Amino acid sequence: MKLILHYAIGTIFSLSLLFSQIRLDVNTIPKKVDIYLDGMKLGSSPIRDERISPGVHKFEITKKGYAPLSYDLLVNPAQAIELDFFLNPIYDCKFKTEEKGLVFELNGEHRWDVELVRLRLEAGDHLLRVFKIGEIIDEQTIRVDQPRKFNYFLRQPLDSD
Amino acid sequence: MKKFKIINIALFILLFGSGCSSFRGSLYPEIIYNKRQPLISVTYEYGEIELILPIRYDAAVPENILFKVFGQGDTLHPIITILQEAPRDFLAYLPQGVLDVQNNTNLIKIIPQDKNFDPVEVRFKGINFGRLYLPPKTIRIGQLIVSGSTRLNNNDSIISGVDISIQNFDNVIYTTRSNERGFYQLAIPGEYKFAEHLRIVAGENLIFKPFIKKLDFSNNRKIKLDIGIGPSEDMAEPIYLTNKENVHFRDGPEIGAKTLFLLEEGEPISVDKLTLSEYYGSIEVQINQNELVKMEGWINRKDLRLINMRNIYRLSIKD
Repeated sequence: MKLILHYAIGTIFSLSLLFSQIRLDVNTIPKKVDIYLDGMKLGSSPIRDERISPGVHKFEITKKGYAPLSYDLLVNPAQAIELDFFLNPIYDCKFKTEEKGLVFELNGEHRWDVELVRLRLEAGDHLLRVFKIGEIIDEQTIRVDQPRKFNYFLRQPLDSD
Repeated sequence: MKKFKIINIALFILLFGSGCSSFRGSLYPEIIYNKRQPLISVTYEYGEIELILPIRYDAAVPENILFKVFGQGDTLHPIITILQEAPRDFLAYLPQGVLDVQNNTNLIKIIPQDKNFDPVEVRFKGINFGRLYLPPKTIRIGQLIVSGSTRLNNNDSIISGVDISIQNFDNVIYTTRSNERGFYQLAIPGEYKFAEHLRIVAGENLIFKPFIKKLDFSNNRKIKLDIGIGPSEDMAEPIYLTNKENVHFRDGPEIGAKTLFLLEEGEPISVDKLTLSEYYGSIEVQINQNELVKMEGWINRKDLRLINMRNIYRLSIKD
């Protein structure tokens, strides 16, 4: 008798929980990406017919070759919510120069001074600064939208192969 | 010889490897992010609430009903207002999220567009979306109310503690008693609105003939009726009352005189003169509901008793 009561209460609780939650679908580009919701693995994309409660939630997505994504979302009361995440790819690039005595800096934090370096760059714009004896002698934005090789010539727009 | 060969191979790999590395360039140790905001699309799908309230009607149906739905305790600004012919089921579609899903602070005001019906309210607990089927609500004709005061006809003074009832044929529907200020109020279900034999009876606990009047609620649900009991001020003292039913009120004292009326018990007679066996006096006869006419005649002395106007209550009921 107690067992039946226990199951009945459990069923009612589960049903109320089910109806109090929102249907969740998640799509990603690329597909087959592991998705974490509030630190718990939700599954591999695309996610269909999951449940989420109204309130603040954190989505985290990581995949090799793509910039990790972390997204805080305030979920409003609704019947369903569909999320589409477009992951930012990371491209393998080469940076080459024949100029001597230059120091290169990307996005204010990554520096090198060699003539040829292989870089793993997130797709999009990056700010390049060029120093010589501690002074900025050039500054330009480089756009990364595919794997490419950049050839740097002093005070000229970056040439790519 | 063999050792020399191994050393040569190792040297070759070392030289060729380092040369290749310098040809390919060194790998920068970190991935360089540009902190670009990722492209994210969030699409909500909002449901709706299908609100169903079955309406039952008792005795009569109003022509039109105005429904107002309020949410979350706000009784000033309705979510939706619908005026429609009296439906079997009230149906409304509400947007998701407008109802309180924790408490029954949501409200439907049902306002029949008919003065015979009173507005009613239905409180309910909401849902986020989906179908919400509420228990049936019955719409009744509003209560019929008769109120007023009980007074003594001869001096217009207030009489308290007068038994008053509403009767349909001889069935007593409701009974009350006037309070110390002589006020009374009776309310009966609206289904008696069109009853043709509805009457108010007052003063059955008094020594006088009870006051009886037909009630007609067909035009109004509330009737104000001041009840006058006992002989009017036109009836000069001494006042006698008939002490039994069917007392003969005749046009002469002699045997064989014509009987004008058969009087009920408690009928007041203003006695003017007397003989050994008969009293001569006048009675009040009501015609056309409100009009009183005085009639004169003779009554046997043993059918009358002198009344004491200082105690008009029947001893058996109120000492």
